[in-house]
Amino acid sequence: MRYFDARVIENRSLGGGYFILRLGGCEPLAGSRPGQFVMLRGDWGRDPLLPRPLSLLSVPHEGRADLLAKVVGKGTALMERSPPGSRVSVLGPLGNSFPAPSADVTDLLVAGGVGLPPLFMQSEAAAGLGLAGRSEMLYGGKTSRDLVLLGEMRGLGIAIHLATEDGSLGRRGRVTDELEARLDYWRAAASPRRLRIMACGPREMLWAVGRIAQSCDIECYLSLEEHMACGIGVCLGCAVAAQTRPYRYVCKDGPVFPAREVMVHATPALASPREGGTR
Amino acid sequence: MTSSLDTREEGAPALLVTCGGIEFRNPVLTASGTFGYGQEFDTLLSLRNLGGLVTKGISPEPRFGNPPPRICETAAGMLNSIGLENVGIEAFAREKLPFLRSCGTRVLVNFFGTTFDEYVDCGARLAALDGVDGLEMNVSCPNIKAGGIEFGRDPSVLGDLVKACRAVIRKPLWVKLTPNTSDIVALARACADNGADAVSMINTITGMAINVRTRRPKIATVFGGLSGPAIKPVALRMVYQVHRAKIPIPICGIGGIQDGTDAIEFLLAGASCVQVGTQSFVDPASAERIIREIEEYCRAQGVADVRELIGGLATGPQARPATG
Repeated sequence: MRYFDARVIENRSLGGGYFILRLGGCEPLAGSRPGQFVMLRGDWGRDPLLPRPLSLLSVPHEGRADLLAKVVGKGTALMERSPPGSRVSVLGPLGNSFPAPSADVTDLLVAGGVGLPPLFMQSEAAAGLGLAGRSEMLYGGKTSRDLVLLGEMRGLGIAIHLATEDGSLGRRGRVTDELEARLDYWRAAASPRRLRIMACGPREMLWAVGRIAQSCDIECYLSLEEHMACGIGVCLGCAVAAQTRPYRYVCKDGPVFPAREVMVHATPALASPREGGTR
Repeated sequence: MTSSLDTREEGAPALLVTCGGIEFRNPVLTASGTFGYGQEFDTLLSLRNLGGLVTKGISPEPRFGNPPPRICETAAGMLNSIGLENVGIEAFAREKLPFLRSCGTRVLVNFFGTTFDEYVDCGARLAALDGVDGLEMNVSCPNIKAGGIEFGRDPSVLGDLVKACRAVIRKPLWVKLTPNTSDIVALARACADNGADAVSMINTITGMAINVRTRRPKIATVFGGLSGPAIKPVALRMVYQVHRAKIPIPICGIGGIQDGTDAIEFLLAGASCVQVGTQSFVDPASAERIIREIEEYCRAQGVADVRELIGGLATGPQARPATG
């Protein structure tokens, strides 16, 4: 993990508020793994104040790093307008990663909207290992405008299954409907394979994926998002309720967790919420 | 007087300061709750260059903190309701202190309890540890026996608490004041009258934020502590009020410091040193940069010794600069 200055070398709009920031000067990110993220902040003065956590989309070579984001607030709006040459500060790579692709298992990569980056990077890793045939991308969004980089993913040789809530592209419905369809397919296959699920997207989607995985007893990893100020386990803002401890931290214990570890609904009794107990 | 901490080159401004019984190589410390236990920042800046660091607040037993969501961003600031989560004294001494002993900077340990006895017990045990240069009492903890009102809001309760801790703590004892009061001077005086060596101020200002889409508070405990540049004018005002009241103990200024200019404002208002808090999240190497910026200011302004700035605010009639 390093803290360094980088430059925007390209800022490509993908429509629908999605954009790819291509950064140069990111040599410290070489060797980053799918699921890892950076804390990124532009040279934009005092507001917004905090750096933004962004998953890595791709770290191809020679200090380049690609980040995919969607405009959701002030910080991402400023990023979307960053012209080439803009200076950004970067802290990373941070967090853990998805398990490496393996010839022994077929990975169902389940992405919801802007949750695509770590799974895109995972499919790149699979393709790089000659295991593209061992991964499937299940990718869902509200409309076709939420489904980006389809050509790039096809170029990797990964099978892609799409779903949109309005039916404008792929299956009409949610990506979890597609997940159930693919599980049915694999269970009925003449030569059943060991399956593994990796997912990133909105919390409701992740919990639904986790429940499906639990009901089928399939190994499942969820990459979580949470508000965080530091990215390095100091602010303790990104706590999520966990099974084996009261809380785990998305920045340093995650962002990737075994689904069973974070599929906790009740707040643990050990927590003692009090007004005024700040840092 | 030459100090072992004073390693500056010839002709460079003297940055050494003393505050609350501790000598610091420069006036910049990092604030509790924003700098972990120090080691988290070891690869991000050189801890040896800092004046000092203040650890996460330690309680006698480990605490797991509040339910999420715990933080949210606000205009030029952030709200937090972490819930004083920490590893507890035993794990602190066993797992965190060995690094701190050799980190090359002054170490103040922030501490708290939920009862008088816990404060006294916690302070005494921490003060006995080798490698702890001083203690900073966090008095913004709810007093369960008094219906959850913070210990630090009532001058007489605060005074009694400081006195009880003072009696068992033989190391420098600082008290971190809450700004959630109508009379900050009374709180500072209660600390001075009962044997505290310094006050650090300010802790976070109670605030809240609402998500209008869900119509819910943005943090789970509804109220949280506001920090960041948004609170700097309030912090500066309170530091100056306490300084002007001639409270006989020094002040460590805290609140929204982002750069050397901010730090110098606090020194001019009467602080002997400062702590950098939320800015360590924005820019993890900021404390080191702020030290350089203070030094540059001193050089540019012909200030030979940074201590000349402390309380140097000019408030008399302003001489207008000559024009033309």
